Amino acid sequence: MESGGNNPKRPVTRRNFLKTSGLAAGAAGLAPMLSAPFVSRALADNKSLSIVQWSHFVPAYDTWFDKFAKDWGEKNKIAVTVDHIPVQNVPARAAAEASAGSGHDLFGFNGAGGAHLYRKFFVDVSDLVKETEKKYGAVTIIGKQLGYNADDGTWSAFPDFYINFPGLYRKSLWDEIGMKPDTWDNLRIGGAKLKAKGNPVGISLGHSNDPSTTWRGLLWSYGASVQDEAGKNIVLDSKEAVEAVKYVAALYKEAMTSDVLSWNDSSNNQYIDSGVGSYIVNPISAYRTAQTLNKTLADDIFVIEPPKGPAKQMMGAGSEFYGIWKFAKNKETAIEFLKYYIDNWPEAFKASEGYNNPCFANLVPKPMPILSNDPTSNPHDKLSILQDSDKWSAIPGYPGPATPAMDEIYYAFIINDMMAKTATDQLSAADSVKWAAQQCEIIMKKWAGKA
Amino acid sequence: MVAIADSVPKPTARFRFILDRRDVFGSLMVAPAILYVLLLVGVPLLMAVYYSLSAYTIYNPSWRFVGLSNFIDIVNNPVFRQTLYNTFIFTFGSQILGLVLGKFGALLLLRPFPGRKLVRALIILPWAVPIALATVAWEWMFDSLYSVINWTLIALGIVTRSNAPNWLGTPHLAMLCVIVVNAWRFFPFAIVIFLAGITAIPQDVLDAATIDGAGFWRRNYQIIMPMILPIVAVGLIFGFVFTFTDLSIVFLMTMGGPVGATSVLGFAGFQTGINSGDVSHGAAISLFMLPVLLVVVVAMLRFIRRREI
Repeated sequence: MESGGNNPKRPVTRRNFLKTSGLAAGAAGLAPMLSAPFVSRALADNKSLSIVQWSHFVPAYDTWFDKFAKDWGEKNKIAVTVDHIPVQNVPARAAAEASAGSGHDLFGFNGAGGAHLYRKFFVDVSDLVKETEKKYGAVTIIGKQLGYNADDGTWSAFPDFYINFPGLYRKSLWDEIGMKPDTWDNLRIGGAKLKAKGNPVGISLGHSNDPSTTWRGLLWSYGASVQDEAGKNIVLDSKEAVEAVKYVAALYKEAMTSDVLSWNDSSNNQYIDSGVGSYIVNPISAYRTAQTLNKTLADDIFVIEPPKGPAKQMMGAGSEFYGIWKFAKNKETAIEFLKYYIDNWPEAFKASEGYNNPCFANLVPKPMPILSNDPTSNPHDKLSILQDSDKWSAIPGYPGPATPAMDEIYYAFIINDMMAKTATDQLSAADSVKWAAQQCEIIMKKWAGKA
Repeated sequence: MVAIADSVPKPTARFRFILDRRDVFGSLMVAPAILYVLLLVGVPLLMAVYYSLSAYTIYNPSWRFVGLSNFIDIVNNPVFRQTLYNTFIFTFGSQILGLVLGKFGALLLLRPFPGRKLVRALIILPWAVPIALATVAWEWMFDSLYSVINWTLIALGIVTRSNAPNWLGTPHLAMLCVIVVNAWRFFPFAIVIFLAGITAIPQDVLDAATIDGAGFWRRNYQIIMPMILPIVAVGLIFGFVFTFTDLSIVFLMTMGGPVGATSVLGFAGFQTGINSGDVSHGAAISLFMLPVLLVVVVAMLRFIRRREI
């Protein structure tokens, strides 16, 4: 008796066998053709790219970047994720990913020396830099400081952008005294007059990034620097540095108030945006904030090149670069993304409202959008001097590379404290420079031979 | 004759038998906690100790043993010695202030008054609020431009705008500020500790002392304090260790400034080890007080054991 009731099995006959096996063979033969588009799509879907970078000071930039990366991913069938972290968390996050040997594919590093510190963990991107130079001109001094390793000619990171630190001043106030803060001496003399009128100069002497950047610029303007061009020796203990420190003490006493001793990075922005401050050194974010708070005040805030010193006109800058971890799962994809990103860099420049400045000579052709003609500014060419900011911008380590030792000196606030110790009469200028040079030597000696 | 098969003990029965043993079951229950402490506290601590004795940097992750040379390096640096001094001031200052506030708070909260339960609940807030949020709020209160404290002092005619205190810009005031914030964070914990201790004292002991003529201060210092000392010591150990290793308040409020006046070991260790990538020296700075802390904690625990009633 056959079991199955309603579903009786048919006996295996030669006809049935041939029919069934023929259908099976046919299906097997057709399967690849029928499923090919789905399989290739499925394989492509397995490709992914993860990016981590700081939460930009201009929130609109993050919105633009996230969409830009997502659109590129959709076009190329790559799942892209972008994580934004607070800027102060970047070093700790990088250390954690490097120690764990896993993390994001592409690491956006805000700071100066990271590319050299993590050199052994980052993929050499020399080919990408060379290709970019061919297309968009020579890499800038900052770009080279950031990623280039002079000993073997490799690039451990791709320089993305730098953030310039021009002077921002209240034009009406400076016009009243018939002066312009175009030299450090004029800043002190004019600042003293304006302080008497209730509008002091505001440059921080506290522990934060802005004074670390500004006072390095002053040192370079006076012909002093922390290290030599080769990045091998500390050369801070010089008469030029002593003169620079004396100048800061005079500027503090004559043109500033003791408030600056405790300032963080937003304090100087608040100072000029409150209508009290007559001059600050800061990226244009302070001006952009003023535009949203008080249009009349914003119209009176003008952007000027950093003050000239006895030796030259230089100012510190912030910087950002991309590193690709050697342990990244999608190294090739990360490079492909960077190529696409570079080709669309002018869009990134616009999205950052002119805050991100290019590290390659012709990446954003002049006249640059926004900076040459900003419809929100009065006059429209208020920001135009920033188009040439690469001529007066450098990052910690200048005239040498941004090494881990230079980074540690930066994070230890030694230059800030050197200035503050003399400004507050704790040490004479010469002793303060000696103290700072000694601290820098300790750090340099520690890193010697290690990086 | 029908053979009856021997019953085969099931594996689950044996497992159940093992779990019935009190010592095995107890060990199993406590194992996750021990494992947690070993993996997430013990191993990192041992790694940190080894980092401090090695040449490990992020640039060159070498495990080469260098003995105590990292410690010698940091001790020879006057900036580190200043940081160590600051850490002692920060720790002892905030613990003393926290304990005093805690004691007074506990005495006030022991008295019956309308809404006491609500106040007891609210008083825990500083301890429960995330430190990042609280510190940002305090930073605004001490801000050089917008300090609400200075506005109040100016409004009351106590100071003028020109001579108003620069809370975070003057070295001693900045240290006072970080101490106050840490004490503010610690004092609710101290209140809870004091409340637990004081309410555990038998009322008849206090009544007998009162009948014998003991006043408020005598009752306080000769009866209450000696009786609650062990529990206060436990609270103090927590406060002492947490404050000595803390970096959050300094990191968020002063970044060690002005001119290094508020730099403490935890902050300096973080700046050197994580931000600058010199892990070995960073670990040496962070662990510098470990032997001292160990001795202090062991001594206090022995004291507590001896004083237990």
